[in-house]
Amino acid sequence: MIELLTETAISEPSRIRGLEMPWNRVMGSTEGPAGAARALGPWHPQEFMAECVETVPEAGGMMTFVFRRCDGAPLAFRAGQYVNIAFPVNGEDQDPVDRSYSLSSSPTQPWTFNITVKSDPAGLVSPWVHENVKPGMVLDMLGPVGAFHLPDADRRARYLLLAAGAGITPIMSMVRTIHSLPGQADVVVLYHGAEAGGYAFHQELAYIASVDSRVKVFYSLGNRSKPEGWEWLSGRLTAAMIDQVAPDANGRQVYACGPEGYLNTAAELLKKVGVDDTSINMEFFSGDRQTLLEYQEELALAADIAEEIAEEIADSAQDYYESQPTAFGLYEPGYDAEGTLTATGLPLETVDPDAPRSEDGSSGVGEEPGSSDASSFDTVGTGSLTLSFMRTGINVRVDPDEHILEVAQRAGVRIGANCKEGMCGSCKVVKLSGEVEMNHQGGIRAREIDAGKFLPCCSTARTDMVIDA
Amino acid sequence: MSAPVNVALNSRGKLASSLPAHQRAEIAELFEFRRAGYSLDAPFYTDRSIFNIDMEAIFGQHWIYAASVAELPEPGDYVTVDYGPYSLIVLRNDDGDVNVLHNVCRHRGARVLTEAAGSTGNLVCGYHSWTYSPSGDLIHASAPGETKFDKGCFGLKRAHSRMVAGLIFVCIADEPPADFDETSKIFEPYLAPHDLSKTKIAYQQNIIEEGNWKLVMENNRECYHCDGHPELACSLFPTWGLTDGVIPPHLEEVWDRNKEAQSSLEERCRRYGLPYEVVEELDTRVAGIRISRESLDGEGESFSPDGRRLSKKLLGDLRDFRLGRCSMHLQPNSWFHFQGDHVITFAVFPVNEHQTLVRTTWLVADDAEEGVDYDLEKLTYTWKQTNLQDKAFVELCQKGASSPAYEPGPYMKSEYQVEAFINWYVQRVQEHLA
Repeated sequence: MIELLTETAISEPSRIRGLEMPWNRVMGSTEGPAGAARALGPWHPQEFMAECVETVPEAGGMMTFVFRRCDGAPLAFRAGQYVNIAFPVNGEDQDPVDRSYSLSSSPTQPWTFNITVKSDPAGLVSPWVHENVKPGMVLDMLGPVGAFHLPDADRRARYLLLAAGAGITPIMSMVRTIHSLPGQADVVVLYHGAEAGGYAFHQELAYIASVDSRVKVFYSLGNRSKPEGWEWLSGRLTAAMIDQVAPDANGRQVYACGPEGYLNTAAELLKKVGVDDTSINMEFFSGDRQTLLEYQEELALAADIAEEIAEEIADSAQDYYESQPTAFGLYEPGYDAEGTLTATGLPLETVDPDAPRSEDGSSGVGEEPGSSDASSFDTVGTGSLTLSFMRTGINVRVDPDEHILEVAQRAGVRIGANCKEGMCGSCKVVKLSGEVEMNHQGGIRAREIDAGKFLPCCSTARTDMVIDA
Repeated sequence: MSAPVNVALNSRGKLASSLPAHQRAEIAELFEFRRAGYSLDAPFYTDRSIFNIDMEAIFGQHWIYAASVAELPEPGDYVTVDYGPYSLIVLRNDDGDVNVLHNVCRHRGARVLTEAAGSTGNLVCGYHSWTYSPSGDLIHASAPGETKFDKGCFGLKRAHSRMVAGLIFVCIADEPPADFDETSKIFEPYLAPHDLSKTKIAYQQNIIEEGNWKLVMENNRECYHCDGHPELACSLFPTWGLTDGVIPPHLEEVWDRNKEAQSSLEERCRRYGLPYEVVEELDTRVAGIRISRESLDGEGESFSPDGRRLSKKLLGDLRDFRLGRCSMHLQPNSWFHFQGDHVITFAVFPVNEHQTLVRTTWLVADDAEEGVDYDLEKLTYTWKQTNLQDKAFVELCQKGASSPAYEPGPYMKSEYQVEAFINWYVQRVQEHLA
């Protein structure tokens, strides 16, 4: 029996909103299993050794080199970043020659990583790399480096990726990354090449474009004459071409990588079609002195950071890793099917312990109001727990089953109250420390509770407490 | 025992009408003799009795715009909305829906919530702590010794509400006009793509204009005076309100630029499936509306001097910043401009016959960061300036209407929407008085 492949209409996949890098969620969590995956977060450049495990010839005179770190750790980076590699071009006993190469693999497959090198016959390093780097070779590396990368979270995730020649390598990393992740995205790739057979990764790009409805790939053949049967675009980048492949370029983030001349033209054209300066991200693959100096600075900074971090880890690895998410402040949790979790509306209710008081001194017991030392307060009552009322300046001892309001009022703490059933909220106060058990009936909002408020009329103390009343 | 008959509960203790019958007849006559195509007679702008009729017939009967969902993003958030003698609480409930309650305690009438906006659980009157649930039920009133006190009889009075595309409308009539739902169906598809539920307030401005609310609305319905808006003129084509055939020679070039910008905007809208056609039913339905998506000058993105975006984060799932302005006018008290990067809402709340609160709210994407994605001064500049200029125009007119020398003047062709607003107003009041 012969089964025929037929075209059946299949509806679009159902996706969460926007795109979020996996480490973003990991870094946002403080405990539990996700915390163990912190090593995958691309938080800083490091110096490490890596072993070549595979070489893959690509179209257009390029070669992909697959590496793994010698220490067994994954390489954490962001799609679009590069590594700096020391190549012993002049032999093992001579100073190596440093070169930076964009990572072409996806950080979502971090156990190995790729660079893709175009051999430039006039160059010193690239022909040597093609000739000499083979599985088994170990190289010194510094990375990841570079600000040219996809954002960690983007609920819009609309991209125009422009690549010329070898500029496809970081773009390829981005495409592979997006393809490997869930989430809504809208990606247009426009890839300029010099000859019809010279587009690296074109088979994989064609495959991704055919199975991933989020990704569209266009090729253009520069200013060369078109060979017979060429169905793609031709000519250098123009505003009309950008309009043709991405009529909504104006609403996209643009990532462009290629030779200097190409990128300078791209910058002008993008402005012309209405792309905002701040939406354009560029990586130069060849540049003027200025650009090269900037790259050197970037690398020097990366080397400094790598050294600093290595020292800190050597001192106390435990402390170091635990401090990561806050220390870097780069990561924000907060995505669900609808997008961001927290809408940052108007400031609604904040706790201000220094808010003006309606009464001064109140009961006249103990210290001046605002005194922060509860140990000098008078203590009244009996019970196993101590409640310190800071404004009144009194310590009240209670048992865990007593409602805080009654005891406090009896001791002369002025807390207004009405229903005494957790309903009206009149007795709401702020707890500065300690835990309560509260059985309210709608008199207080979850947000207020999060902000440290509670209703003493329907609460009992679980621990010693300090209360702003 | 005898039971009172034929007396509706809510008529208890009320005067039969806010106005004596003869005065009502006199006012009805004024409406009767309104000269079409001309501005209203002076008392419409200056007389307290007519203001009272406006509150009764317009603000007491029709759907009015109160706030946007961005003003009460979370359960428990509320705004209070005051107009004429009314004060309403618009409260986001736990279902994500909105409750609208009269802000009048059922004990002795005190205002229950005194802030313009905030967040609350139950609603507690500050006077004697009568406590209402978010839906208005009286759930607590301390009643020592009371034996016959039935809490069930003293809930806060409720009003009707509708949330459409993130805009919240309220109606205090017992039976709201039915065609608002049809009007909603007209504007919802225009506005929904901007997704107000994912926006936040960048800035809100409250201005008290020394003018009757109708003058505020009239002023907004024409651009005949737009020479007085130099900042706005950078964005709005000065040909706004004109049509082929009535373009003065000095504006022909602008008219061509306008037409070209409009046709490329329309092409873009078709590409993204955004409606742009003009729907104009300002006085041909009870819930009068005008809506369209129109091009802006310059880059066509926003109300900035060069037409470029003022916030770098696109709203909703919009794909393009160059979407001009989707502008809506709703009778009787609101207008809106929805751009790709931000939204501006305008709400008009009458205070008395010669004062009006104009509330302007600038909304940006809720993940847009001030100072990074937008500069607050730049974001608000054009409309802050324009509002001040409009305030001055309205106040000039109010002064004029108070002069014995004032007599109604003709609305010009380009002011046909002003005429439509006045015509709508006159019809609605007449229906009410009939």
